[in-house]
Amino acid sequence: MGKFILRRILLLIPILLALSLLIFLFIRLLPGDPAGAILGERATPENIERVRAALGLDRPLHEQYFEYLGGLLRGDLGQSFLTRRDVVDDFLQRFPATIELTVAALIFALAVGIPLGMITAKRRGSWVDQLGTVVSLVGISIPIFFLGLMLKYVFAIELGILPDSGRIDFVEHNIPRVTRFMTVDALIAGELGGFVDALRHLILPGIALGTIPLAIIMRITRASVVDVLNEDYVRTANAKGLPGSIVDRRHVLRNALLPVVTVIGLQTGLLLGGAILTETIFGWGGVGTWIYDAVRTSDYQVIQSGVLLLAFIFVLVNLLVDVSYAFLNPRIRYS
Amino acid sequence: MRNWRWISALAVLVFVLAACGTQTGATPSATGDTEESEPAATGEAPEETDGGTGEPVAGGTLVFAGARLAASLDPSQTSDGESFRILQQVYEPLVDLAPGSTNELVGVLAESWEGGPEDTEYVFNLRQGVTFHDGTPFNAEAVKINFDRWQNFAEEFQANAYYYGAVMNGFGEGNLIESVEATDEFTVTITLTQASPTFLFAITLPTFAIVSPAVLEATSADDPAASTFGTDVSAGGTGPFTLDSYTPEEEATLVRNEDYWGTPALLDRVIIRPIADPSARLQALQGDNPSVQGIDLVSPVDYETVEGEEGLVLVERLSFNSLYLGLNPTAAETEGNPLAELAVREAVEYAIDKEALIEPFYGGRGAVADIFLPPSSGWYEAVVAGVEPRGFDPDRARELLAEAGFDESNPAEVGFWFPTEVTRPYMPDPAGLHQAVTQMLEDVGFVVVPNSDIWDSPGYLEDGQNGLYDLHFLGWTGDYDDPSNWYGVHFGFDAEGAPAAQFGCDTEGLNEAIEAAESELDETARGDAWAEVANLIHGDVCFITLVHGDTALAFTENVQGYNANPTGSETFSTVWLTDGGE
Repeated sequence: MGKFILRRILLLIPILLALSLLIFLFIRLLPGDPAGAILGERATPENIERVRAALGLDRPLHEQYFEYLGGLLRGDLGQSFLTRRDVVDDFLQRFPATIELTVAALIFALAVGIPLGMITAKRRGSWVDQLGTVVSLVGISIPIFFLGLMLKYVFAIELGILPDSGRIDFVEHNIPRVTRFMTVDALIAGELGGFVDALRHLILPGIALGTIPLAIIMRITRASVVDVLNEDYVRTANAKGLPGSIVDRRHVLRNALLPVVTVIGLQTGLLLGGAILTETIFGWGGVGTWIYDAVRTSDYQVIQSGVLLLAFIFVLVNLLVDVSYAFLNPRIRYS
Repeated sequence: MRNWRWISALAVLVFVLAACGTQTGATPSATGDTEESEPAATGEAPEETDGGTGEPVAGGTLVFAGARLAASLDPSQTSDGESFRILQQVYEPLVDLAPGSTNELVGVLAESWEGGPEDTEYVFNLRQGVTFHDGTPFNAEAVKINFDRWQNFAEEFQANAYYYGAVMNGFGEGNLIESVEATDEFTVTITLTQASPTFLFAITLPTFAIVSPAVLEATSADDPAASTFGTDVSAGGTGPFTLDSYTPEEEATLVRNEDYWGTPALLDRVIIRPIADPSARLQALQGDNPSVQGIDLVSPVDYETVEGEEGLVLVERLSFNSLYLGLNPTAAETEGNPLAELAVREAVEYAIDKEALIEPFYGGRGAVADIFLPPSSGWYEAVVAGVEPRGFDPDRARELLAEAGFDESNPAEVGFWFPTEVTRPYMPDPAGLHQAVTQMLEDVGFVVVPNSDIWDSPGYLEDGQNGLYDLHFLGWTGDYDDPSNWYGVHFGFDAEGAPAAQFGCDTEGLNEAIEAAESELDETARGDAWAEVANLIHGDVCFITLVHGDTALAFTENVQGYNANPTGSETFSTVWLTDGGE
């Protein structure tokens, strides 16, 4: 087991190196450049030259890359062109917001997706199942930005029961940032009202972001449960008179969850990407908004290092998922 | 849209690669696709609005949403309207524009000054008894330290110090600033290497605000590797608000400066939030319990929504911009360009119904652009006097085309360019505008070859300015109110006497006229000189100014006293809530 984890961690190094090169080139191959973004209409050839020189963009590509790589190896991910702040600092400052949102979305997706998958599997072919299929299809196909705006329109504007954007009501709650998880910081500050308000702010973006994973988790759960329900041991358990709820919990769900865990791992990575859209729509100050702004201003350093950090986390989450396999299913042993 | 293509493409790349390293195997997935209209620009456009009703009440908190927060908290490192919105509440320049005005100067940190357009020496008599938010007294030495700091910026800081570089002709010795001397405790003498008619107007920009020397030192503001001035909250300003907290991507909280030297702000607090998406911004303002009470850059398509919604007020900001159609007879990509004929260029202008563009594309808020300068400019009357506008007259356009030898069997074929993946305050929908104008040109007999390119350089901007486009859309948002910032920037000849490549406008006498206008220091004569420049350019139809697009803010009806300014020079200190925030 330890060997397996070690091997997987070592494997991360070439992956991240390749990623860093590809992201670096990818950004530069696409049209647009920071000088143009900074200057706008004022982008006369002379102005562009001046800004490019100041940003070091006039040097050959390989020089730029090796300098960047050298920095990476020293743990220095560079500074934003625009704010001259360390990219790592900026990332760490915003990442808690994104994690908070991702966790909210995941909780929503799991809490609704798994039971729905279970119910539709047990009543497959019924109208409940049909309805579930339709719901999951809609969930997968609906664009996040549309869903986000619609949720806001209904719950924030028309009904006025949930906040439309932001992480907390800054007017009511002035909470010192300690961990930068708004819910946690509110508790640290002893503001129960702030905690509840932060939770309320999580609901709509959490639903918007969690809908696609919900649909996927529901489908996987359903398929997996259907498989397990046909297993001999389930029939045996039922035959020997175990109460249905115990059969479901101990025998069906536990065995059916393995593929679901895989999907959860992958979805967590995708949620980080999906957060870019959701955060923009909900004015959520996380990594997504940050990268969105960096793309808009062609802030290469932020895009390449920010995306690399996200990729790193994605790989890490998947490693954790693989490791968790061994615990969930003793038959799978890595050596 | 390009942004989303980028993000999607990056997401795919990352997840495909990342999946290669996992045994579970991932399916590549892209983030979705969304509409995005990006109205943010530098030195936003703008206007005078309701001064409020009833007696102003002090107190309360205003939550306001723009598209972004500040690019940097160091005023000298910013050049865009979103940054200025926050920083000009906290920091103050020596002189500023009077509220709502684009060309009337008022003293701020300078109580008075001697020196005008024709002088190389300016003496500023500073306001006494002003302290920075950190308690440091404001004096002549502080002004000198700031001017010296800008002039001697390390290269790393020069890239984002656009305005200083542009106004002062670069950095270091040999730029426009000869010397800055603290002649006594409250007198500063600034000597220029040559007279500059724009100097006083330029230093009204928030970029040139004076910062507490103690804060500059404490934050290592001039050390590119260690500076925290641009990123961390500091108490370096003198303005009516202090910056209380700043969380990037989340909020900037401004608190009333109780020790302000002038009329104190009415609001207790202003919280500025970034909401990038224009629809999301408007949504934040709607409903019974809106999370913000004011937003900027309302999308023109939403003007009607705001005006029709009870409890919301649309505040128009008159234009300080202009959309134009560039005409370049010397465009490198065309041969036998019909635009080489004056009659054809005139026909283009007669063919375009400028008025018809305002309703569909600017939500009905904007003005036909007879000249480059918008009517909100103090120079407008003087310059427009030199120009005889060509109205919309399709018959005249057809006649001119016929005179030039073009007919149905031999139509005038012109390439017509527009930028993609961008919106600007003067150009809310480039593709739509292109379609509309194409239709107008085809109606009089032109054959239009549509072309487009991506906005960011290298691309549309660079190719346009390098003279590769024959007919093309572009525009300008003024930095400060002087004709040289409009006609001079675009049509100035280079040192070898070649005309600006973008227009290839080699009109006889234009070079001399621009030089004369640039160096004319008497105000009336300067107006006349620029009128002559405008006359030559418009007479030769080097470009066709189309529309000055207004922008708009929206507030809940309890918000009063916001004075929109075409230049974006706007303060929250006069704003109050009818309910005092209760």
